[in-house]
Amino acid sequence: MGGLQKKKFERGSATNYITRNRARKKLQLSLPDFRRLCILKGIYPHEPKHKKKVNKGSTAPRTFYLLKDIRFLLHEPIVGKFREYKIFVRKLKKAYGKTEWSAVERLRENKPTYKLDHIIKERYPTFIDALRDIDDALCMCFLFSTFARTGKCHVQTIQLCRRLTVEWMNYVIASRSLRKVFLSIKGIYYQAEVMGQLITWVVPYQFSHDHPVDVDYRVMATFTELYTTLLGFVSFRLYSSLNLVYPPKLDSNGESEPKEESEDDYAMNSESYLEKLSALSASLARVVSSADEEEAQLDQFPSEGEDMEKMEAREKELKQQEAQKKLFEGLKFYLNREVPRESLAFVIRCFGGQVSWDKSVCIGSTYDVTDETITHQIIDRPSVGKQYINRYYIQPQWLYDCVNAKILLPVEDYFLGVTLPPHLSPFVEEKEGDYVPPEKLKMMALQRGEKPGNEQEEDEEEEEEEGEQEEEQEEDDNGDEEDDEEEVAEEKNLKKMEEQRSQGKSLHVKVTPGKLKVENKARLEQEEKAEEKRLAIMMMKKKEKYLYDKIMFGKKRKVREANKLAAKRKAHDDSEKAKKKKARK
Amino acid sequence: MAAARRLKRVAISQPGFLTLNPKVTPTDLVSSRRKRVNKNKKKNWNKYSDVQDVEEFLEDVRHQERTTGGLLCEKSDDSLFFLDVGQPKKVEEKEAAEPVKGKKRKGKSSRPLRIDLILQHDSLVAPPKDVLAYQKPNAKKLRRTAERAEKLAANGVVPRSKKRLLNRTVVDRMSKKTETEANNNPERDFYDIWGQETKDLGEPWYLQQTRKKLVKRPEKLNEKPSVLPAVEVIAPGGSYNPDFFSHQELLREAHEVELKKKKVEDKLERQLAYNKADTATEETILREQVEGLVEESEEEEEKDAPKEDGEEVAVGAIAVADKKTERQRKREKAEKMKEQQRLTERRQTEQQQQLFQLRSIKTSIKQQEETTQIRQKRRKAKEEAQKAQPRRLGKLKFQPQDMEVQLSDELAGSLRQLKPEGSVLMDRFKSLQKRNLIEPRERAKFKRRLKVKYVEKRAFKEIS
Repeated sequence: MGGLQKKKFERGSATNYITRNRARKKLQLSLPDFRRLCILKGIYPHEPKHKKKVNKGSTAPRTFYLLKDIRFLLHEPIVGKFREYKIFVRKLKKAYGKTEWSAVERLRENKPTYKLDHIIKERYPTFIDALRDIDDALCMCFLFSTFARTGKCHVQTIQLCRRLTVEWMNYVIASRSLRKVFLSIKGIYYQAEVMGQLITWVVPYQFSHDHPVDVDYRVMATFTELYTTLLGFVSFRLYSSLNLVYPPKLDSNGESEPKEESEDDYAMNSESYLEKLSALSASLARVVSSADEEEAQLDQFPSEGEDMEKMEAREKELKQQEAQKKLFEGLKFYLNREVPRESLAFVIRCFGGQVSWDKSVCIGSTYDVTDETITHQIIDRPSVGKQYINRYYIQPQWLYDCVNAKILLPVEDYFLGVTLPPHLSPFVEEKEGDYVPPEKLKMMALQRGEKPGNEQEEDEEEEEEEGEQEEEQEEDDNGDEEDDEEEVAEEKNLKKMEEQRSQGKSLHVKVTPGKLKVENKARLEQEEKAEEKRLAIMMMKKKEKYLYDKIMFGKKRKVREANKLAAKRKAHDDSEKAKKKKARK
Repeated sequence: MAAARRLKRVAISQPGFLTLNPKVTPTDLVSSRRKRVNKNKKKNWNKYSDVQDVEEFLEDVRHQERTTGGLLCEKSDDSLFFLDVGQPKKVEEKEAAEPVKGKKRKGKSSRPLRIDLILQHDSLVAPPKDVLAYQKPNAKKLRRTAERAEKLAANGVVPRSKKRLLNRTVVDRMSKKTETEANNNPERDFYDIWGQETKDLGEPWYLQQTRKKLVKRPEKLNEKPSVLPAVEVIAPGGSYNPDFFSHQELLREAHEVELKKKKVEDKLERQLAYNKADTATEETILREQVEGLVEESEEEEEKDAPKEDGEEVAVGAIAVADKKTERQRKREKAEKMKEQQRLTERRQTEQQQQLFQLRSIKTSIKQQEETTQIRQKRRKAKEEAQKAQPRRLGKLKFQPQDMEVQLSDELAGSLRQLKPEGSVLMDRFKSLQKRNLIEPRERAKFKRRLKVKYVEKRAFKEIS
């Protein structure tokens, strides 16, 4: 019997966790420093499962860290740097207080700094790990690069962010990896596919900042500090993977040479290089100047059955992607001054188009408005003065919609002064049976290569088309429903027969000349399949049958809802049209 | 020494000796009177031999040697005396001076100053030598090493110390500069951090202990604290030129959020509301004021009565039970035993009976298992759902950001007229909180330590 009495909170989860304050004391850091260290090292607070046990019986809400994490932090060399910095600040304050300016200068010169390289290497052991986490870094850098230099954060940080974002955009252009763009009310969402990873980032609109007060800028700046380092290393690797020079240099013998005159008007020499880079109009210099890269052919492996199908699908996808990459190739764009230049130039260049703008808008314009070879002029105002006959005057949304649709959409809907079709989100992926807006259906039809007739004509035809599309959609939607309907129809037939048999027994007996039954093989096959399915359903256990019914019911309900929405839309469109007609009359 | 002294004594005793001090005669120095003392004791020697005169004499001799450069008696008369012939004729001097002007001047300049002559060292006693000024410790050895070094240098051999200096790695000033480069320097350089493999030099334990190698990061730390994606794309209704229905959908969602907020607010208001019937009217006020004045006596009587009852009851409860007798105790024990026996018997029979209930037991077990399975599934699903939820990491709960939405009439017709809604900065910040990377916090409140006093300035006062 006996032994020592067990004390409470000396084993188990109570010893696995440590409160923030205790952790801070253990590391001998101030709270802001501790917070910064945790962000840099990627150590996050943890919510314990049994708070009361961890909190030694108290239920007060506290921030907990895992003790092992904090112990790991103790080995970090940056902790020492933080302490050094603290001492530096203290000394500086003292020197200021005593007005010892020489001491101040000397201290300033020897200001302790630290590097995050080893942390990057430690947190992201491989390049792909880093690439997976690049979303955050991009968002942060794009955000900080748009900040005004008003002292919300260091000017140097803003400059570094700007440089890194420009480098990133240039890489995306060079690798042609942009996939989706979405103009939202918050900012512009981009998605690119880099080395097989889908990378999404959001860029705020320019000049749209009202600094919210309840954001902790210090925390954000710390994240940015880490992310700038990460993004720098990632872009170095990406550039070297494309044989591009890093830091990026403009290709000196590119076909579209920016005009050299009037460079001094924009910026000082030291700044103008970055400015020119950020104009995005010129291509980058390569380490090995490869004029024509060989298109790597996908190796063909003999395969069977499903693999074959998969392979084919993949090949098709690849082909589509290749086509998308060359979407704007051969087109020459001119941006009017009222459109967002950077975003548009980025998008156009990502798909191989040529772009220019008025030389007073930004550095790096390659040709003038008067150039006769311009095919599209992007414009966002109700009217223009002088119009050239051999170019389209279109609104900027066309470009974004083209990118999302992966084809060149008809320009008619985007002409000057025309009410634009809605800008749909490319990030929505409709599942089977969901409601799909008619605009998207139209787009899908276009993608499939169907030519929707002459659209410039009047509304009637459009209506018809929409009708068709809706039918189409219903067909699409009702794919699964069909089987059920067939079943129902068959059952009805059978019932009729039976009824007839039971009622009269005097069936009309008549000999009619036999018809040759044309055996449609495909049809037969389908029927067989349907029959099999029906039998399978019949053979189901009660429980499974119940589940099956439930699923089917859910599907039907979804379809019903989608149909309802479509009908609503049609009604809405009709009313709109009627209004228009009235107005016209 | 003694011989020299004797010699000096002899010199003094001679009649021609002159003392520097005229008061002292040489005869005085040699005393004639003697005293008888035992001379076989050293003590007496010291006591009774009078050496005063000798000492004085020797002092005088030394003085003469020091100041005049030898004994006066030994000097020639010429050096001691000169013939005084009165003032020299000035005219003659002048005449003599004029023709040889240059010579005279030269002579004047060459003649030493009187002060210099006075200060000139003319004592016979040589100044004591500073031995260390001439002697060097280890002089021989040093000389020899220097000779050897010269020889080696002639042969072109560089000494070790110099070699070390030459071989020292040059401290790069630039490297220090790069070290102090700030982390956010816009011109900073990047390199291939994943390409180069660091070489392991030496034992890992040694490297770790000397902080040359960092401690390995635990794998668990690389797990993300939330399954949510870094960038959540806004709903399709948030497009700048949205599709009608998706916009409506977004509006509906925003509406629901607002409704929820309103509900909470309403609830709070309801809870805080008071009953209007409870407000004080004149009547109730009066009653309150008069309370205890009018029906005092009746109430008191009523109060007294139950009090007494209560006391009685309390006394009854405290009353102690009687002590049990031996018999009672025995009986109780027997009863207890009996009861236990009965229970064990019953249990046994039940167990026996269970043999015949095997089927039902089986089904019940099956049922139990099924329920546990269902519960497990449910729990797992809940956990999965929880993973996407923000955790409670601190004092405050995560507050989702207000939904960005533009009403139908706020929607811009074109990109140019678009008024951005919401802030990307806020979005990023909330996203970090939502993914459990940072704990939600409130901005620290500014506390004023000293009270502020407002005073109107005089100039301002005059106007107002």
